[in-house]
Order: sequence, then structure tokens, then C-alpha cells
Amino acid sequence: MKLSRREMLLAAASTVSAASMGLARPALAQTDPIKIGWLAALTGPSSAPAVGFNRGVVFAADAINAAGGIKGRKIEIITRDTQGDPTKAVNATQEMISQLKVQAVWGPTNSGESLAVTPILARAKMPNLHPCVVDTLIDPVKFPTSYRIAPSNTQWDDAVRNYTLKILKAKKVAVLGDTTGYGVSAANASAAAIKKDGAEVVYLANIDATQPDMNPDMLRAKNAGAEAIVCWSVSTGMLARLFNTRAAMGWDVPFIGHPSMSSGEIGSLIEKPANWEKVYAVGYKSCSYDAAGKLPAHSQELVDRLKGKVDLKDTLLWWVAAGYDAINLFAKAIETSGSTESAAITGYLNSLKKFPGYFGTYTYSETEHNGYQTEEVVMSAASSARDGAFTLAPGYI
Amino acid sequence: MLATIIASGLATGAVYALVGITYNTMYATSRVMSFTAGQVGMLGGVLGSLYMIVWGLPLLLALPLVLASCALIGVITEYVAVRPVLKSLEQHLYVLSTLALSLMFQQVTAIEWGTEPRPFPKLFGLGTGIYDEKFWIPVIACILTIAGLEYLYRYTLVGRAFVAVAEDNYAAQALGLPERNLRIASYALAGAIGGLAGFSGGELMLAFFANGAVLNFYGFVPVALGGLGNNKGAVIGGLALGLFQQAANFMVGGIFASVAVFALFIIVLLFVPQGFFGSATARRV
Repeated sequence: MKLSRREMLLAAASTVSAASMGLARPALAQTDPIKIGWLAALTGPSSAPAVGFNRGVVFAADAINAAGGIKGRKIEIITRDTQGDPTKAVNATQEMISQLKVQAVWGPTNSGESLAVTPILARAKMPNLHPCVVDTLIDPVKFPTSYRIAPSNTQWDDAVRNYTLKILKAKKVAVLGDTTGYGVSAANASAAAIKKDGAEVVYLANIDATQPDMNPDMLRAKNAGAEAIVCWSVSTGMLARLFNTRAAMGWDVPFIGHPSMSSGEIGSLIEKPANWEKVYAVGYKSCSYDAAGKLPAHSQELVDRLKGKVDLKDTLLWWVAAGYDAINLFAKAIETSGSTESAAITGYLNSLKKFPGYFGTYTYSETEHNGYQTEEVVMSAASSARDGAFTLAPGYI
Repeated sequence: MLATIIASGLATGAVYALVGITYNTMYATSRVMSFTAGQVGMLGGVLGSLYMIVWGLPLLLALPLVLASCALIGVITEYVAVRPVLKSLEQHLYVLSTLALSLMFQQVTAIEWGTEPRPFPKLFGLGTGIYDEKFWIPVIACILTIAGLEYLYRYTLVGRAFVAVAEDNYAAQALGLPERNLRIASYALAGAIGGLAGFSGGELMLAFFANGAVLNFYGFVPVALGGLGNNKGAVIGGLALGLFQQAANFMVGGIFASVAVFALFIIVLLFVPQGFFGSATARRV
């Protein structure tokens, strides 16, 4: 058959118009699996969180698939081990976008990787959920498809400050950070917010995490009259030295701050268990035991579901719960909107109000992509870990 | 406060001094400043923790094993990073080769041991407060090392051969001294001294992969202050550095303490480039 130029043009025009009318969109009636990319630092120095998240991710995908998937389509989790390396995370992201053609991306799980990856995901209009705390990672204008499922650093800081000033009723506070970029910026921001709330920052310092002796800073904080020490560091060695020095000085000042203060490694670095008392680390209401030693009912439901299938002894409950929630949120977005299109998924997330996840209650809008509620961030007794959860710090009702 | 400054200053200073001696011992027979010195120190702490806590070995077995392991690291340094570049010493390629090997030691430790500090066992369980053993064990290790080296260099044939090679490499070879074997032996000795630095300072610094970089720098400062190749200078420089650093920690705080150390280091090098105890070498032109 010979096509005339006019027929050829007509055919081309109708193809273009059909595509623009949405006929080429992937329909949900397909049977192909729904692909969710999972950028996980499963090996390497900062792998502990991703290993925990991964248990929740796999459990959620298995649960959804066992129940028949999303309108008949299975969920396929495509995992790439980024080893905590931003370069590897970027390469994996590019692969997920251009070759694997995933419908959404969960991760990365640390801010360094996320800073490298988020602009790429934004350019590809790829729906993205991540748990990274750096405030600048969430910007609905610059990164309209990225959403945070965990608290931001500011929310952590708010919770720490509220506990220090309102529950412990400290009026004079010492603020310590390590000398990393994070430690310096977090300590400065924390000190500024404490002053703004009317309390006095009697001592502000950044300590080299490899400094073998913490006596100088602890003595200065004590001499300045500190009633509480707010601490921002991920260095367990430095934190344990601070706790040991406090005990050697016979000082019972409380420490309040970064979740690393409740890390299991501290337990092996402190000279005696009592040195870890009166240390309150950032925790989450959903994953905290009350005074009677019970989890909230909704969280207990997850723990019961996980029993025998997911080990919680060597990880944190919130990591598993957040991994579960991330996959569940994507699944709900696709199921409710009836589409795997980016605009449909982000449209669903933007309209989400008080979605009851296991880790948190999420609310997003077009202008607010921090979905975690500040009131759900609480302080935990740092040395009280049991099956991946902690006891609430004293003072909460 | 003064007692605390002196106790912790002398302890950290003794560890720095031992790393300085490690630099010097490696330098003596090869004319190479090997940047693996600090990493060997770090490995002394890590291996001590591995042998005693993980493997459960007693101190009397663990210490010789640590020294032997670190001596082996010293020998590996000689074979891998020093020997290949000795022919072009004036191009200072050893900076690159020893630094690269040093980073390899650090990364392998980070991967195999972990990036979080791990506990180092109490060796004797003696003392509390400023008399805690963590403050005086490094000082005693430093005194024993200096005494041992003095004995070795002054009263033993091998030690005198070391000195001969250090004084004039070519003349020593002309006299029939096995220069290459002596160099390997000196690297093994340096490795053992570095290992002792980390082991004796383990309670103070913990078993932590990042200690290597710290010891690399703070161990180099006493060498520069005391004069290259001068062990007594390294000890005095190390102890002075430790005390100065602790005093600065108390007076001005963490970040500024490091700045104070760097500033002192630069000022000393500006006015006494050969170090306080080094001698200016005459160069024939």
C-alpha cells in the first residue's frame, strides 16, 4: 500500500493527539508488576538503618502481594545497595529512572546520599519518600516529588528543646556538638532556639570526636552552672566518654539529644551501666513503651504481625515500621488514584490527611512535604532498649 | 583542674611521642617519612581489643601478638610502599605511596572492624580519677621504649648496625652491612613501637579506626618539634604537645585547641625549621 504525504501527516497527527489525550498512559488493568525502587545502604559503615528499613519493606511488599497485590498487580521491590556512597546512589537512581523504569523510589536512607539524589529524582518527576533529617532535602518548589516520612532535624530539635525546657524545666543549658558539619550546625541551631525560648545557653562547644578526654568541656559546662546538657553528635565514642566523665565528676546533670545516645554501642563503651542513666535520646511515641511497659495499640498490632517473621532484637522498631509505611503509602497512592503516573501518586500524597501509618500519622500538602507530626517525636530513656523500642523518658503523661 | 591537665596531657603526649618514635625509626634506615605510622598506632588499639575482648586472650599473650602483628604491618609497609620508591627518593614519591597504603589500612579496618569506636579492655584495673591506669600506662610504655631503644642502639651489635645505616647508608653497605635486611628489621621494630603506642593508649582512645589519621598528624608534630630522627626530641616534643593540647582544651575549647596546636607547630617551624633538638644539615653546593 502506498501512503500519500497527506495520509502520513494525518497518521502522525492522530498518534500525537492520542498520546497527548492520555491513551498511551499505563493503565492499571495491566498485569505487569508495579516497580518500586529501594535505594538502600545495606552494606558499609552506615548500613544499620537500611537493614532495619529493609525488613519492613520486604514484609510490606509480601503482605500486599499475598493479599492479591494492587488491583491484581504485584509489587516488585527493586533494591540497589548504595553502600552509603552518594556516587553509587546517583548511579542506582539513574538506572532506576532510565532503565528499570520504576514507578516510585523509597530512599536513600542517609542525608549525604539524599542530597545527591533528590535533584535527579525531581528532574525525572519521580515520586520519592525518604527518612533523611536534613531540613533542606524537603522543598516543595525545588523538589516537588520528594516527601519526608520521618521528622526533620528541626523537629528533633523542637522535641529536645521542649523536653529540656518544659518537662525538665532547665533554665541554664549547655549545648555540645561534635566538630562535623552536622554537629556544628545542629548545636548552633539548637542554642539559638533555646535562647529564643527564653532560656540561657551557659556553654556552647564543639568537641573533636576523637578527643580522648572530655573533662575540659564537662568542667566548663559545670562551672557555668548548666542544669541540662543538650548534645548533638552521632559519635558513640564521644558520647560514651561524656557519660563516663559525668559519672567520674559525680555530676548528675541530664543529657538530652541525638538518637545516637541510645545506640547499643554505647552500652559496651560506658564504664558501668549507671553511667547511661539520665540520658534521654530522641525517640518516637509510636515506638515507645509507656510506664506499664506497653506499646501503643496500633504499634503492638504491627509487632504481633511481625512476630516470627521479622527479627526486632538487633534493629529498631521505627526503622521497620517506617519501611513498612513507605511501601504501604505508595501502594495506597496507586490503588486510590488508579494510576502509576507520577502526577497521580504525588496528587494522592499532597491530599493526605492524618494517614495512620505504624511509625507515624502522616499529613502532606502541596506546600508541606514534611509529613511527620512534631508531637509524635518524644524523648526516650536511652538505656531502655527492648525489642527495638525504648521506654518514654520521665515526665510524659 | 591542673592535675587533670597534667595526667591526660602526659598520657596523650606519650602516645604521640611513641608514634613520633615510630616515624623516626622508619626514617632512620630509609630516609622515608612513612605516613603509615599513625595507622599502625590505630591498629595497636584495634588488634588489642580484637585479641583480648573478641578472642578472649590474656594480656600476656595478646600484647606480644599485637606487637608481632604490627611488626608485620611495618614489614608490609617496607615492601609495598617504601622499597619501590627508594631509588627516586628525591622525588618524594614516598609521600604518595605511604599515604595510599595508610588509607588502605584505614579503610580495611573500617570495613572489617566497623566505623564506630569499640571498647578496649582494662589491662590491670588499677587506679581511679587522675591515677587511673589509662593515664599512666602510655607514659610507662614510652619510658620503657626509650630505655629499650637506648640499650639497643648503644649496647647491641644489631643496634649499632642500625645506627651505622642511619648515619651513612653507603658507607655501611661498603662495610658489608646487610642494609636491606636492617631496613626490614627497622620497619618491623617501628611497627611494634607503633603497635605499643596504640595498645598502651587503647583505654584512652578506644579501638577506633579514625584514630589512625589523628595519630598520623599528632605523631608527626613531635618529630617536627623535636627534630627529625631524634627520639629524645620526639619524646619531649610529644609530651609538650600533649600538655599544650590539654591546656588549650581547658582554656579555649575543642576546635580552638586544634587551631592552637597548628599555630604553635607553624610558629616553631618558622623559627626553628630543624626542630628544637635537630641539627641543621650542611649541604655541599
